[in-house]
Order: sequence, then structure tokens, then C-alpha cells
Amino acid sequence: MGGSLGKPIILVAIIYLLLKFVVPNIPGSAPLPSSLIFLYLMLTTSGIVIFATLSGESKDAFWGPIQRFMTGENIGGLQMLRYGVLILFPLLVGWQTYSSTAPSDQPPAENRTIHPAPPGEYTGLSNPVAKTPDNIMQGKGFYAAFCSPCHGGQFDGKGPAARGFNPPPANFSDPTTIAMLQESYLFWRIKKGGVGLPIEGMPWKSAMPRWEVELPDEWIWKIIMGEYDGAHQSPRTWE
Amino acid sequence: MIRVMQGRSATGGVVLACAASAFLLTGATQGFAQESVAVRAPMVKGALPVDDPNAAAWNSAPLSQFPMSPQVHWQNRIQEATVKDLKIRALHDGAQVAFLLEYADPTEDPDDSAALEFMVGDKKAHFAHGQPMAQVEGGPVNIWFWKNKENKAVDMSAKGFGTLKAQAHQDVKAKGAYSGGAWKVVFSRPLTTEHPDEDAQVKPGEFINIAFAVWDGKKDASGELREKGSQKAVSSWWYFRAEPPPDYSGYLYAAMAIAVALGFQFVLIRKLKKGQST
Repeated sequence: MGGSLGKPIILVAIIYLLLKFVVPNIPGSAPLPSSLIFLYLMLTTSGIVIFATLSGESKDAFWGPIQRFMTGENIGGLQMLRYGVLILFPLLVGWQTYSSTAPSDQPPAENRTIHPAPPGEYTGLSNPVAKTPDNIMQGKGFYAAFCSPCHGGQFDGKGPAARGFNPPPANFSDPTTIAMLQESYLFWRIKKGGVGLPIEGMPWKSAMPRWEVELPDEWIWKIIMGEYDGAHQSPRTWE
Repeated sequence: MIRVMQGRSATGGVVLACAASAFLLTGATQGFAQESVAVRAPMVKGALPVDDPNAAAWNSAPLSQFPMSPQVHWQNRIQEATVKDLKIRALHDGAQVAFLLEYADPTEDPDDSAALEFMVGDKKAHFAHGQPMAQVEGGPVNIWFWKNKENKAVDMSAKGFGTLKAQAHQDVKAKGAYSGGAWKVVFSRPLTTEHPDEDAQVKPGEFINIAFAVWDGKKDASGELREKGSQKAVSSWWYFRAEPPPDYSGYLYAAMAIAVALGFQFVLIRKLKKGQST
């Protein structure tokens, strides 16, 4: 009879462990929010209760031990555990109520889109500058002069002027930045700067200069070449 | 262990414990603090130390620290600025708000200056003087500027480069004190003003955006100021909140929930006991 309750508990525990530790490690997955884990565990528990109470016999086997524990009759040394549960449960309900009704004292959550969609005229442009060693070297020179104070001499976003800015300057050696983008996207971002971002990119926070005011397009294209070469990345293409 | 749990009477407890840990799971996420990204002004009783950067009352305000960058965002850049970090505390008393800025500066110079910047109204404003944004309609910024020479504040407005000007209504006070290679500057202002189109309005409980700028007024060998105008140490936007008066309603709701849970347990056990005895 004990087994009829033991199995559901083991099942709930296994599902919890799967959701908490196994699912996040599946490639392409992410840690599940605790509210979602709670929902899954509740669904599992509901299923178990429905299954266990299908017949009169299984119902007794399922509820019997719970009833005895709750009433405290003939449970011997488990009496202390019973008292613990009876005290802990109302306290947890109280704590949960407090934490869900207390007003948040955290700053507003910021869901900033790091790579928002560019305006139509900047999609699919190809670099008009020939990819020659000279041009790449020139691009790296421009990069050192104009970009490296923030984006860093090592293309890692850790230039000497980076520290005060929030969001931080992009790290080009990170495979989730320029390696995921086309050259035309970089052209837009460099030319129009932080203030050129759409609302989801939170342009009011960005310290990226609007380089169109200071640099000719040709220099910007060369900088793009120098950036990819220096950061050991390749632009994303449609092939 | 599993065998113990499978014991008949333990199992009921375990089911309850499972439910309890599920509660724990959902509650726990809300308790974690985010990174320090905000200046918080607790509400205090009694006068704010608006004229005294060294007042003991400042110790009751939590310390926030923000990194500063040389201003490289727009022209007339500077590649290196003296001030690398800024420490901020703030207090309010329900009527006034006061900020204390502290930063290291090896020399006291007449042109040493510091400023706070806020967005004005509901529109977002770029941290660089509220300059225009291509796809978002921006709003103005309110700048509270202090300079050692005058040792007072200027309440200013800007909406784009070249538009910075002192307001007709001066609501901000400031006072600086230099000691031991560091500046302490206090800014203060009523929480709200009669000019919501020009001034940031501080409502306790609401987060607003704040940014900082500092100029080291030291001159180079040729007698020119190294840091002036756009050549300064800056930050981009962070948050500021004047903390609301304490709200105890959460405790009341929690007490009510505990009472309901206890009542539920009591009724349930009584009913179960009745069922067993019949």
C-alpha cells in the first residue's frame, strides 16, 4: 500500500529533476522559469490524484496514509514531522502571499533588443570596397582611431572609454555579434549610430556615435572589413 | 531514504512538503536583487543636510557607485578624463530631495564642475543633452549643474546639442566641499516643481532616469582647460528612485493568508477525524 504513494512521489521528484537540470542542458534550450516548473508539477500532481482516485480501492490506498498523517492517529514518531508540516504550510502560504503582493522595488525590466531590424534601405547592401590587404589595413587603422576607445584594441568591447556606458559597447570577438550580422547591418549601425536605433533598441541609452556626421561612407566600409578581420569573424551571408 | 518515505504515514507529509516546496520555488525568484543600477533615496524625518556634504545624516543613505567614461560620443571628444568613478547617495523628506556626489580629483580648481541629468516628462531623451533620435520622438533633459567657482547650482534645460540654457526658474541648490583629494557636492531641490515641462518631477516610488557628468577644472601647461564643454567624464542613463513611505499592507495580506490556511487545516483535520470515528 505504501508503494501506491511512493511511486507518485518518486514520479514528481523525477519530473522536477528533469525540468530543473536536464531540460536546460538540451541544446537550444534554456533554464525554465520556476513558475513554469511549478505549473508542470501541479499538472503532474493533478494527474496523479485523478489516476489514484479512479477506483474505490486505489482511492483508499492513496488517501488513507494522508488522512492518518493529517489526523495524527497511530503515526508514532512522525508526530513531530506532522506538527512541522502543519506549522510550515500556513507560513509558506503567508510568505507566498507577501511576496506576490508586495510592490516591486526593482527598476523596470529592460528588454532591450540588441540587434533590431535595420531600415529597408540598409538590407542587402554589399561592401563596395575591394577586399584587398591594403584596404583591410586601412580599415584597421580607422578602427584604431575611431572605434577602439570603446570597442577595444582587441575587438573585445573593453576599450578604455567603455566602462561608463550602459549598454556596454559590443564585443566583436563574441560569435553572437558581428558574426551573426551582414556587412550592410554594420554599415547602418556605424553610419546612424545609437540614435538611429528603433525604439526596441533603446536609442536614448546608446553611446555609439552617428559616424555619418564625421566619416565618409568609404571609410565606414573599410572599418567594417578591418573589424571582421581583426576580430577573426566573417560576415553572415545568405548562402 | 526512499524506503523511509514510502512508510505509510510519512507519505502524507511528503505530499504536503512537495506542495510547500512548490510554493518556495515560485516565491524564491522574486527575492533576488538585480545588479546595482539605481540610486535610491530613503525617506527621512527632519531636515535634509542640503548645505552640508559632510553631515552624518548621509551615512543613512545607501551608497551607489557608477563608472564614468570620457565623453567620446559626439564631437569635441576627450580620450581620457580625470574622474573614473562616482559615488552617489540620496535622501528625501517627502518635500525635498538631496543628492551627494563624491569623487576623487587630485586638485581643487575653480573650474571643477559636476552635473546631474534627468529626463523630463514621459518621452525618452538621449543621455547626450536629449539629442534627436531618428526613429523615436525624444523629450528634453533637465540638467543640474554645479561649478566650484560660484559654488552654486544652475538649473538648466536642453533638447539637442547647442540648446543648453539656464532656466528662467532656478529651483536647484548645490554646495561643494573639497577635502583630501576628493569632492563632495550636494544638490537639492523640491521633489516637484511648477514647471513639469522643464523640470524632472520626483514622485516617491517611481523610477526615473539619471545620468552624471564631471569636469576636472585643471589647466594644462599652456593654461587651457583640459576638460570643458563636451570634454568631460560622463555616464549614460541609470535609475533613481525616491523610496515611497513604508507600506505594510503586504504583511496584512500575509497574516490573512496564514489565518485562512490555518482555518483550512483545522476544518480539514476535524472533518477527517469525524470521518474516521464514524
